[in-house]
Amino acid sequence: MVSMRALKMGLCSVLCLSAMACGGGGGGGTASNGGGTPPPPPPTSTANTVSVIVDEGPSNQSVNTMFTSVTVCVPGSTTSCQTIDHIQVDTGSYGLRLLAPVLTLTLPVETLANGNSLAECTEFVDGFSWGPIATADIQIAGETAHALPVQVIGDSRFTNIPAECSGTGGTEEDTVTAFGANGILGIGPFELDCGDCDTTTHGLYFACATSCTDTTVPDNLQVPNPVTHFAADNNGAIVVLPSVAAGGAANVMGSLIFGIDTQTDNASGTQTVLTVDDNAELLIMFNGQSLGNSFIDSGSNGIYFADSSINMCTAPANDPTSQIVNFYCPASTLTLPLTIQGMNGTMTNNLTFDVGNAENMLNNNFDAYPQLAGTLPAGNAGTFDFGLPFFYGRRVAIAVQGAMTTAGTGPYIAF
Amino acid sequence: MPMFRSNDFKKAALGVAALIAALMPHVASATLGQPETTVQNDIAHAHASLKSSQDRTGYRVHEIQLPSGTVMREFVAPNGTVFAVAWQGPTRPDLRQALGQYFDAFASAPRSKFSDRRHVQIQQGDVVVQSGGHMRALSGRAYLQSAIPSGVNLGDLH
Repeated sequence: MVSMRALKMGLCSVLCLSAMACGGGGGGGTASNGGGTPPPPPPTSTANTVSVIVDEGPSNQSVNTMFTSVTVCVPGSTTSCQTIDHIQVDTGSYGLRLLAPVLTLTLPVETLANGNSLAECTEFVDGFSWGPIATADIQIAGETAHALPVQVIGDSRFTNIPAECSGTGGTEEDTVTAFGANGILGIGPFELDCGDCDTTTHGLYFACATSCTDTTVPDNLQVPNPVTHFAADNNGAIVVLPSVAAGGAANVMGSLIFGIDTQTDNASGTQTVLTVDDNAELLIMFNGQSLGNSFIDSGSNGIYFADSSINMCTAPANDPTSQIVNFYCPASTLTLPLTIQGMNGTMTNNLTFDVGNAENMLNNNFDAYPQLAGTLPAGNAGTFDFGLPFFYGRRVAIAVQGAMTTAGTGPYIAF
Repeated sequence: MPMFRSNDFKKAALGVAALIAALMPHVASATLGQPETTVQNDIAHAHASLKSSQDRTGYRVHEIQLPSGTVMREFVAPNGTVFAVAWQGPTRPDLRQALGQYFDAFASAPRSKFSDRRHVQIQQGDVVVQSGGHMRALSGRAYLQSAIPSGVNLGDLH
């Protein structure tokens, strides 16, 4: 505990250079659709709020992508530390992952009982990221986690990607440019990035000696949602972003508040609480369809759904890299109704969302677009993917599984 | 209501699936663009099991349960060619195996400027790869446009 306190004090001096990083404020956004009206935040025991920004990211080609900063230390050290900016805040994944090229520290790699090093092949929809699991002391605002398992993506000590990893397909995302961020902070409503990797191999975790083989791994060695390992405020997080003008904004500042009902600035109010299923999904009713594999996700950069009646953008012929590929381009902005229903049966009422003309919007060269929407292929039956635009103008709480708050028991999303 | 149709399909198919599986124990995980009959070794490769096989109008579907929990569906045209594969589950199947010669299209195809980590829609020549979802729940499909039997609804291939 002594070392943790020292760590906290040492790091706060770094983080408090940015007023918002350590300010216990929260509620910085104009939560026009938010339910709760928490009282003004008095000074708190643990600074639980860090600023977030929606900007173009380190690859200079991100839209509707939210970032924050994380301080990482070699376990037990208060001097071998580094604050890394442009870590994507992702409510649709689990765990802290850092891009090795921006990491100046050498973090110790976890070892299994047989002495093999532990590595992971993280599967994203569009590809995979490969690298060892290391431990780090981390601090975000005043929140700390000691010896947290994190993935180091693109680590030069682990260059031989197993065939079982690359065979899952897609793009190798092991550089900042390919990844689009310096790291990712997965704060979805579960603890671990794999539901049953302690008993089942998935081609996710690998035991590495001279080569790497698919392995099961005890839960305590897996990569967890860091919030669940914080010393305090560890039952969830709240994302607060302001409203954004219809045509977009150059960038957007907001807050990420840790904990729910643990301090006065994260108290639950009268918001709608929608519990989610084992896949962190819920039901969205749209256009006469009940879409049971739907999700609300800060890691999706638009509003993605299938509606063949809306004009697709017409990308230049033979240019699959065009910025308007797969987005909608209605002649004029559409306002469409939808209903969201949690597994607890609670339904939202009278919600609408807007679909703007992506070609016109993206020509503004902004980074935040509340009306950016795109197609889901017909193969994604039963899905409505409501990405970061859902968070604009809202205060959205994500409670982890088992969290008991005054508003309900996690896993849930509330707004 | 696709989600319910899927369940109905399972109910209807399960009764005959065991019989079909017994009659055709050699049918297992197939490779896109390859014959249905060449794949008996693949099920062993994946340590998988055939859950069901069903004849639909214009094609046949094999549903394969992988040990990881992921389910694959493979769609076979009347001429015996696997024209589509689809997957859904916590992790992707071995797509190098399932997509065969078309695997590189998914691995190396250029991405749109503002693609994110949740969506893929690729068209490379004849092959189309589409995928969605999020960590712990991934789904997708790949199909050969020229091999789709006439009358097949793309929306049914999942």
